[in-house]
Amino acid sequence: MRTRNILPSGMILAIVIAAAFKFADAQTAPRQPDAKHGADIVAHGTAAGAPPCETCHSVNGNPDGSGTFPRLFALPAYYLAKQLTDYKAGTRTSDIMQPIAQMLSADEIADLAAFYAGANAPLPSLAAPDPALVAAGQQLAMAGNAAKAVPACNNCHGPGGAGLPPTIPPLAGQFAPYVVSELQLWQRGIRKNDGGAQMSDLVQRLDERDIAAVAAYYQQVKSALPASAAPAK
Amino acid sequence: MAERLRPVDAVTIGVGMTGSILAKELAAAGLKVVGIERGAGRDTVPDFQSPVMHDELRFAIRKSLMMDATRETMTVRANVDQTALPLRRISGFLPGTGLGGSMVHWNGQTWRFQIADFIYRTRMEERYGKTFLDPDLAIQDWGVTYNELEPHYDRFEYLCGISGKAGNLNGQLQPGGNPFEGWRSREYPTPPMKEAYCGALFRRAASELGYHPFPMPSANLSQPYTNPEGVSLHACVYCGFCERFGCEHYAKSSPQTIVMPVLLKNPNFELRTGCQVLRITLDNTGRKATGVVYTDAAGHEFEQPAELVLVTAFALNNVRLLLLSGIGKPYDPRTGEGVTGRNYSYQTVSSVDVFYDESVNINPFMASGALGTIIDDFAGDNFDHGPHGFIGGAFIGANMSHGRPIEFHPTPPGTPTWGQAWKDAVIRHYNHTVTLLAHGSSASTRGNYLDLDPTYRDAWSQPLLRMTFEFPENDIRMSAFVTDKMLQIGRAMGGKTVAGAPAKRPYNATIYQTTHNTGGAVMGADPRTSVLNRYLQCWDVPNVFVIGASAYPQNATYNPTGTLGALTYWVADALKTKYLRSPGPLVPT
Repeated sequence: MRTRNILPSGMILAIVIAAAFKFADAQTAPRQPDAKHGADIVAHGTAAGAPPCETCHSVNGNPDGSGTFPRLFALPAYYLAKQLTDYKAGTRTSDIMQPIAQMLSADEIADLAAFYAGANAPLPSLAAPDPALVAAGQQLAMAGNAAKAVPACNNCHGPGGAGLPPTIPPLAGQFAPYVVSELQLWQRGIRKNDGGAQMSDLVQRLDERDIAAVAAYYQQVKSALPASAAPAK
Repeated sequence: MAERLRPVDAVTIGVGMTGSILAKELAAAGLKVVGIERGAGRDTVPDFQSPVMHDELRFAIRKSLMMDATRETMTVRANVDQTALPLRRISGFLPGTGLGGSMVHWNGQTWRFQIADFIYRTRMEERYGKTFLDPDLAIQDWGVTYNELEPHYDRFEYLCGISGKAGNLNGQLQPGGNPFEGWRSREYPTPPMKEAYCGALFRRAASELGYHPFPMPSANLSQPYTNPEGVSLHACVYCGFCERFGCEHYAKSSPQTIVMPVLLKNPNFELRTGCQVLRITLDNTGRKATGVVYTDAAGHEFEQPAELVLVTAFALNNVRLLLLSGIGKPYDPRTGEGVTGRNYSYQTVSSVDVFYDESVNINPFMASGALGTIIDDFAGDNFDHGPHGFIGGAFIGANMSHGRPIEFHPTPPGTPTWGQAWKDAVIRHYNHTVTLLAHGSSASTRGNYLDLDPTYRDAWSQPLLRMTFEFPENDIRMSAFVTDKMLQIGRAMGGKTVAGAPAKRPYNATIYQTTHNTGGAVMGADPRTSVLNRYLQCWDVPNVFVIGASAYPQNATYNPTGTLGALTYWVADALKTKYLRSPGPLVPT
């Protein structure tokens, strides 16, 4: 059977040239993160030995609420990738996370970050916080403290703690024990990967009750979370 | 009839930068000081917090932190043959109101003037001859020298925690700094801010052309800092909401973040806000001030007796208050006689836009008010003016202070000014344009001056200040020269289109240019040509000191705040070590 050339030859030439350029583009354009591959790592770990993330952070990035492990879902991909890269480089430290991050390649980090940025899940039911503590936390989060020269957390972390992507993480719905422990790490100078000393300086002006209060406040803020992340009944 | 209050040692009229520093110094020295502020009290927490503070419409467009033009404003004209009309909205320049004054809403560009600036007439005549200057120029020497002010510049910069890189440490040039600057006794208190991408592009092009780029000195701090008063500032987050806004982060030097916490704790100091000073009262000799008369927010009039009156309002308001109080003979441009109101000057600015293709991402929103990369090669006394026929100059640089959505809309020449084509061009160019600025000097002339308006009055029935100003021909020529240099750098930066124009007549007071209104109550060595002696003390009324950019006999290339900070400490020093020991004229007449 005789094949029929259905396109004018000039157009074929144009397609060939376009395809060649597309190929050239593919070689120089930055790699697009692969969230599906990220999901694989979350569930199964990597051949290089990184354990599955879900062991601690759960498949959907929403662990048990004990606060030992932070919730990861809906965090900006840039922020997540930077934290993993900092763990890998040792500019953020953790005996648990550093060895794991060192087993991840830059591409794997990007894929994981893309996956968790797009993940979503209902939050676990948590014990009702102390209303007085929440009120004190709200004051600090929204207005700051003039006597201590502490500006409102929301200046950077966004209205309602929604975050200021891509660099500044949301705090809304984050587990209080995790926020407390991170603020303590900032205070002791163990965590210092803020780039311009914005966090490490500020946190020196907070006392134990301030830290407990902001953590309690942000844990119960839900307005900035994806709609489906309402607490499980 | 005004209610007479208990006498105090000193009163400051205005509690902004100069008022708060001087009040702090005098209260610490044991004087009873009352600070009278026309606006409201305010502090970083709660008044400057987000999300309210990032309301661009409210603060940048409607100018919520500026003086209220429905209560007091000024009238403007270009020359004595015109009838001045009142500015119904504050737009061409932005005097602030409220505790902390204009240093709350400033950008934070903190410069020193050049050694030559303080001996300007002497230096220009010496370098170019007496016939070189345009005959209408009224430039003068300041009566104080850079060497005398250096320790006070230093003290002010350390109060603020200025972020920068020294170019000249005790005469030794320093790599990375401004090689043209006057000597400084030590390095800046904090290192420069992180360079913006627009600054990096400018740095490369300027270096290739043989110029000397360096980071702009910034009062938006690169790192946390605790000043000698024990007050701490945080590091800047580069949010791009500086000028026209208060800083929510405690990262911009303002009275609230550098000195106010110490001042307000001192029981020798009393702050009165919402109080409008109407005039300084004089005794029947006219040679001694007895205090001030002011109206509080409820409209009650008070007389506050004081041994010492410090006029520490915005430059224009300082001059107006002297005129309203009959201090100093008003200047008459027809005869050249009189002092109060003479040598009003401004700043001569122009800009160039460098439009790139879409592969170059500028991210102008990652900014601060003083995040800039600058060259000083064409500023002030730094080059030979002989072949060019003008004096003065400009610093040139990329210091994009913000990328705010309502105000920042660069479009290339030929773009329609409204409609879909304009919108498309804004989207196309928003993130791919670098704006360069030439920030130029302003020579004083015989014709530019301030006086009281014969017609228009404020909410308290007092005459408004009348501004008579046009750009001097000298400065128009200067602007053409420096704008040409700026266009040359812009083309070397690799933009597809480079567009800009020098400053032109007529001066338009309805378009924002700068808030660097200077002169009108100038300092000097000769009482016939200055209101104040070298200690900013009134020649005619020695217990009145007038501290503001109103003291500048002409404006130099640079933003005036750094020099005003130095003068403030210079005055504080003179008060504490000379005047308080023996009140009276500090310079014999």
